[in-house]
Amino acid sequence: MAIAPGHYTLGPDDATLTVRTGKGGAASKAGHNLRIEVTSWRATLDVAEDPAQTAMALTADARSLRVREGTGGMQALDDDDMRNIEQTIDDEVLEGSAIEFSSRRVERGPNGTLCVEGDLALAGTRRPVAFDLTAGDDGRLSATARIKQTDWGIKPYSALFGTLKVVDEVDVEIEGTLPG
Amino acid sequence: MVELDHSFQNGKPEDYNWDAILDLDRLIPCVQGGRVVERTSPTEAKAEIKVKMGAMSMTFAGTVEVVERDDASHQAKLKIKSREVGGQGHANADVSFGVSNGGGTIHTAAQITGKAASMGEGVVVSVLDGLIKDFTQRLQSI
Repeated sequence: MAIAPGHYTLGPDDATLTVRTGKGGAASKAGHNLRIEVTSWRATLDVAEDPAQTAMALTADARSLRVREGTGGMQALDDDDMRNIEQTIDDEVLEGSAIEFSSRRVERGPNGTLCVEGDLALAGTRRPVAFDLTAGDDGRLSATARIKQTDWGIKPYSALFGTLKVVDEVDVEIEGTLPG
Repeated sequence: MVELDHSFQNGKPEDYNWDAILDLDRLIPCVQGGRVVERTSPTEAKAEIKVKMGAMSMTFAGTVEVVERDDASHQAKLKIKSREVGGQGHANADVSFGVSNGGGTIHTAAQITGKAASMGEGVVVSVLDGLIKDFTQRLQSI
């Protein structure tokens, strides 16, 4: 379903912004695949009849990431483990830097999909990124962008003397409902 | 049993390195996450090491003892006996040092049991190798 023209504002009340990370390295058995929710963010979507006039922007608070789930480890993560990960993200990975996305070009794809290209500022570096934004008949929105951390100058987290690593590519997803 | 050989270079005189290796108060903190809990004798200390595994960590607590020393050839063996805090695992090792002018050699024979060992011998070797390589770097400024 094509998204109807209009100005839309989205945030945590309408949609979930999630970061999914994977684990690698010789000791990956000790680590977890993480589902991390960004809890403070705001996006605007201006949909016009002419796709060239359609624009999308998003800002997120880098200190609002909360670990919701860790799977695949030797033992379950408890609340303290999750808080430790969030602290590590704040102190060693994103360091509270601004997260901003703004589109440069939007095209209509099949079935009303919007193919979005733009620039993402992350950890002090601005680089291009592209993703598809789809809307279902029930107004559900979804988009996934794959981000390679090193492209933004982020050194993927590692522990156990480099034998346990977060995989360089992480997935950023938006799932939610377009506000009426 | 895992056996590993490493060397270190720190440019310091042989006598200096010999004294440093035998001084557990200086040596133990050179292991990442390691600390002296209590000196129980001139040749022995209670110690612990906290190994970070991402969000989680494992702590091993036990003793480090100088069990052999040859002042003529500057060879010494340290025996490490430790148990996983809050777990069933053990990490024991005999660490033999040979000290020379400007550096030295380290032979480690380690036996790891419990949760850490359940990751497999390949992983244990990789982690132990990383730990000792990091240790040799820190010996540059001991």
